[in-house]
Amino acid sequence: MTLQEQIRANRLKSAIVVFGFVLLLLVLAALIGFAFDISLGVIAVVGAVAYGIFALVRSRSMVSRLTGAQEVAPEAIRPLRRLVENVSIAAGLPVTPEVRIVEDAAPNAFAAGLRPQTSYVGVTTGLLATMPQRELEAVLAHEVSHIRNRDTYLMTMALVFAGVIALIADIGFRSIAYGGRSRRGGVIVLVLALVGFLLAPYAALLLRLSLSRRREFLADAGAAEMLNDPEAMALALRRLERNSTTIAYADASTAHLWVESPTDRLDSDRRGVLALSSLFNTHPPMQSRIEALEEAGGFRLPEELPSGESFGVEHGLVHA
Amino acid sequence: MLWLWILIGVVALVALFAVVGYNRLVRLRNEVDTGWANIDVQLQRRADLIPNLVETVRAYAAHERGVFEEVTRARAALQQAGTPGTAADANEGLTIAIGRLFAVAEAYPELKASESFLQLHEDLTDTEDKISAARRYYNATVMRFNTAVQSIPWLLVASPLGFHAREFFSARGDTALPQVSFGY
Repeated sequence: MTLQEQIRANRLKSAIVVFGFVLLLLVLAALIGFAFDISLGVIAVVGAVAYGIFALVRSRSMVSRLTGAQEVAPEAIRPLRRLVENVSIAAGLPVTPEVRIVEDAAPNAFAAGLRPQTSYVGVTTGLLATMPQRELEAVLAHEVSHIRNRDTYLMTMALVFAGVIALIADIGFRSIAYGGRSRRGGVIVLVLALVGFLLAPYAALLLRLSLSRRREFLADAGAAEMLNDPEAMALALRRLERNSTTIAYADASTAHLWVESPTDRLDSDRRGVLALSSLFNTHPPMQSRIEALEEAGGFRLPEELPSGESFGVEHGLVHA
Repeated sequence: MLWLWILIGVVALVALFAVVGYNRLVRLRNEVDTGWANIDVQLQRRADLIPNLVETVRAYAAHERGVFEEVTRARAALQQAGTPGTAADANEGLTIAIGRLFAVAEAYPELKASESFLQLHEDLTDTEDKISAARRYYNATVMRFNTAVQSIPWLLVASPLGFHAREFFSARGDTALPQVSFGY
C-alpha cells in the first residue's frame, strides 16, 4: 500500500472503532433499561457522559502531571523549537505546538492536548541525547502528525469512553447484585445483563487499544509524508527499538501517548510469548511499523544505524 | 407514478453528489490558499532580512558594490513576483545572489566573526528551512486540488465554476518536485 492508501485505510478503521464504542454504550444502556427501567438506563448514560466531559476538560493538565513534562522557556531550547516549527509548517498546522521536556534517560516523545491550538509535544532528554537531527525530526513529525490528525483528541476521548463504559457496567452490575425488588424481566435477561456488564469493560479496553495501534501507523505514515523521507522515520523507530532504557514514567494510562510504548517491554517480559497478548498492546510491534514504512518508501533499512552526533549534544541541549 | 418517484430519487441523488463534491472542491481550494499564505509569510521574512544583511556586509566590504546591487535586484524581483512559479524562480535567484554575497564575506574574517552577521546567517538558514517545509505542504495541497479538478466528472464543470488547476511552487528546471506524492 502507498502511504496515501494507508492513511485512508487507517481513517476508515478508526471510524469503525469509534462507532463500536457508541454501539457498546447503547447496548449497555439497553441492558440496564431491560433489567430495570428505561429511565434508569437513560440516567446512567447521561450521568456517565457528564462525568466523561468533566474528565475531558481536566485531561490536559493531567497528562503533564502523569508524564512529568516540564514547561521550558522557548529561548532555552531554540534549536529544538525550530525543528518543531519546521515540521508544523510542513504539516500545515495553524500554530506551532509548545515543546515540553521530560527529564528521563529513555528516548521517547509524546503529544497531548485536545485542539492544535492548545497542544504540546513532550520529548525526553534521552531522545535528545540519542537521535541525530534527521531522525529527531521524524519523531517530532510523528508527534505533530498525531496533533494534526486529532489523535490526541480521539485517544483522550477513547480513554474517557472506556472509563465511562466501565462506570456504567459497574453501576449495572451492582444494581443486579444488590438491587433486590427493583429487578425486572426474567432470569435469562438478568443473566444476559450480568454477562454484558462483566464483559463490556474488556471490550472497551480492546477497542481503545486497537484504535491506539491504528493511530500509530497513521502517524508514522503522516511523518514520512511530511518530511518526504520514510527512511528517517524507519531509522528512528529502529533506534528506539534497539535502545533498551525503559522510561521511569511507564504508566498504563498514558502509554498510548508515546511514540514507542513505554510499558510494552515490561509487559512482554511478564506475559511471555502469548500470541493473544498483542491485543493488549497500545502500539503495534516495531517490526511491523518499520516494514510498513519500508514497503511504502520502497527501501530496506541497513543493519547498521548511521552513527553521528545526536541533535541534543550537537546543540548543547543535553550532555553526552 | 413509479417513474416519477424514480426520477425524483435520481435527481435528489445527483444533487447530493453535486453538493458534496462542490464543498470538497471549495475545501481543497482553501487549503491551497492557506498553503500559499504559509509560503508567502516565509518569503516575506526572507526578503526582510536582506537589507540588514547588505548593510552588515557593506560595513566591512564597502567596495563590493556589484554583489550588493545583485542581491537588492533579486530581492525586488521576489517582492514583485505574483504567481507561485515566478516567486519560486525569484526565490531561486535570491538564493544564488545570497550565495555570492556569502562567498564575498569569506574574504573578511572580522565580518564572519561579527555577532550580527552570525545571527543573520542563522536566521536566513532557518527561513530557508521553513520555506522548504511550507513548500512541501503547499505542493501537497496543490497536488490534491489539481487531481480533484482534473478528474471526472469535475473535469467538465470545474473550470466554468471557477476552479482552475494551480501552479506548483517550483523553480524552472527544479527537480525537487514531489516525486513521491503522499498528498491526502
